[in-house]
Amino acid sequence: MRISPDEWIIAQWQGISLNATVLFTWAVMAILVAVSWAITARLSEGEKVSRWQVMLEVIVTSIRDQIAEIGAGRPGRYLPFIGTLFLFIAVSNLLMIVPGYTAPTASLSTTVALALCVLVAVPVFAVSERGVGGYLRGYLRPNAVMLPFNIIAELSRTIALAVRLYGNVMSGTVIAGILISVAPFFFPVLMQLLGLLTGFIQAYIFAVLAMVYIASAERARPLGEAQDDDAPHDNDKGD
Amino acid sequence: MQIDWITVAAQIVNFLVLVWLLQRFLYGPITRAMARRETRIETRLREARDSRAEAESEAAELREAREALERSRDETLDKAREEAAALRARLEDEAREAVAEKRAAWRERLDAEQAEFEDRLRRQMTRQVLETTRKTLRALADADLAGQVAERLADSLEDLDEDARNDLAGADEVAVIESGLELPAESKARLTRAVHRLISDGIDTEYRVSEDLLLGARLRLGTHTVEWSADLYLEGLQAAVEAALDDRRGRTAA
Repeated sequence: MRISPDEWIIAQWQGISLNATVLFTWAVMAILVAVSWAITARLSEGEKVSRWQVMLEVIVTSIRDQIAEIGAGRPGRYLPFIGTLFLFIAVSNLLMIVPGYTAPTASLSTTVALALCVLVAVPVFAVSERGVGGYLRGYLRPNAVMLPFNIIAELSRTIALAVRLYGNVMSGTVIAGILISVAPFFFPVLMQLLGLLTGFIQAYIFAVLAMVYIASAERARPLGEAQDDDAPHDNDKGD
Repeated sequence: MQIDWITVAAQIVNFLVLVWLLQRFLYGPITRAMARRETRIETRLREARDSRAEAESEAAELREAREALERSRDETLDKAREEAAALRARLEDEAREAVAEKRAAWRERLDAEQAEFEDRLRRQMTRQVLETTRKTLRALADADLAGQVAERLADSLEDLDEDARNDLAGADEVAVIESGLELPAESKARLTRAVHRLISDGIDTEYRVSEDLLLGARLRLGTHTVEWSADLYLEGLQAAVEAALDDRRGRTAA
């Protein structure tokens, strides 16, 4: 039994191997892009809107609303990053019902890669918002003694992010494998259904936590300033 | 823990590419489309608001116009009522005047009728008095009275002037002497003598009784007539009374 899809080598060419993680990641990417392109190629700006467009609009608006709820000032700024995290993880997990498919998120490499992206995105967004000095000063709050703890918190939460997703998805796969060997009928179906639910929830949790980290890094500043930015920016068009 | 760092790097690249692709094909177009739709809806809402405001202002104008119309209608109605009242008053006055005129005319006519009736009554009374007198005279008439009447006719002949006597003499006819009563023979002889003496000897006389002569006698010779009658007095009296009544009525009418 393969624990990680990384070990499942699909092809090998001149010392470069293509494992299942990367392949299924491409598949997920292809599905996401193809569906998006197919729908957005025929966008309607009038009153009559196709149901597929409505679906995409609902997804995008929901993500934006969620970002705004968490407290980030301009949802449009974070939408591509947070939205892609959510969509990628969700689609990766939901495709688990397809036989022969293994979720890329069941690979620790993928979750680590995503967690590293979040780790980098947090200071990038914070610096672009507050400048390098403003961001670095955040590590000294409430005083300089807290610097090591702040650094540890930054790293540990990244690791937690990666391991949480990996653990949940991988455990789902492992539990399904064990149950099939113990009770081959009926019960694995329920576990698959549960797996869909947990996969979706994990996507949500990952995206929300990423947003929370970014927002908290941006908010580490004088209170009055923070309150000004808390107001939702309705006119943000998401550039 | 199996972390394949090459896969990690590949996944990071994959993720960043996916971010770019989704931004290119999903978030960008969708948010732009929604923004444009919102703009359009806002525009239409604004247009609707403008139209509504316009409609409301038009409605207000129409309301004002209607109120003005109602005011003018009320004024016109008041004016018409006043005119109607004036007209009614005028018509009433005219009717009253007309009634007064009619009443005056009626009264006048009534007065005239009354006057006429009184007049007729008086005349009737006069005639009645005369008739009574005639009846009385007729009742009293006897031979003696007939003689007296013959005497009065003879006196009348005596009183004729010369021209009248000559005219009578020129008529070569029988002299007819009529009387209301049968004349006595001596009266007849006397009259015949008087005719012969005063008019002509050759004239024959003929005596007749005429009922229309009440108390009197008449001599007819050709176209000429000489008469004495109590009726003449009575007629004279009647003429005098009627003249007096006419005179009085003329004064009343004036």
